[in-house]
Amino acid sequence: MGASKGQKLSGLQKQVLSLYRGFLRAARSKPTEDRCQIESIVTAEFRRNSKQVDRKNFLYIEYLLRRGKKQLDQLKSPDTMGLSSLNVSSSQKQNAKT
Amino acid sequence: MALRAAVLRHIRVPVRTLAATGPKPQLQWSLCNSIRLFSSHDDHLTKEEVIDRVLDVVKSFPKVDPSKVTPHVHFQNDLGLDSLDNVEIVMALEEEFKLEIPDKEADKIDSCNLAIEYIYNHPMAG
Repeated sequence: MGASKGQKLSGLQKQVLSLYRGFLRAARSKPTEDRCQIESIVTAEFRRNSKQVDRKNFLYIEYLLRRGKKQLDQLKSPDTMGLSSLNVSSSQKQNAKT
Repeated sequence: MALRAAVLRHIRVPVRTLAATGPKPQLQWSLCNSIRLFSSHDDHLTKEEVIDRVLDVVKSFPKVDPSKVTPHVHFQNDLGLDSLDNVEIVMALEEEFKLEIPDKEADKIDSCNLAIEYIYNHPMAG
């Protein structure tokens, strides 16, 4: 998922953008404070993936899409208050739970 | 006398067209064009308003340099945004104009031009 997409978006890119849009729409229905938190986590995650993941790595991208869709479905339920992310780095085991 | 005849002719014309072509309420009741301007059908946004509001939304986007924003600017080519930013801008426009833009259309909007066109032509833009 490179930064320069130009006019023609591939099917996979469209799915990614569609998922991103879904997250932003779901965030709207939450209270303002949660909405800001959700948006910042989601945007950070998508951008990090867009820089780190190779465009041709279809398998991993599809995996991320499936995982993202499940997370989105959970987020949409009215019971869910917000997101939190777990960072596990490969060098040291740092569990930074926000 | 001639004036009276002319005025009567002008007033009578709508009635004749009613008989020939069936009920056309707008033609029938509008004796002169200025009445249509104030009808409730014209609460649609003017192009000026749409342009101003769209530019405001784009300028207040944190990653955008407001001095570069013009009605013809391309989000990715001119403003250096990526497609995720594109999605965010379209969402911000949705909120501003209280619209719901489907994914297919949103994917096509990647410049101010297209955004203004789409919103201006949307019947529900508010």
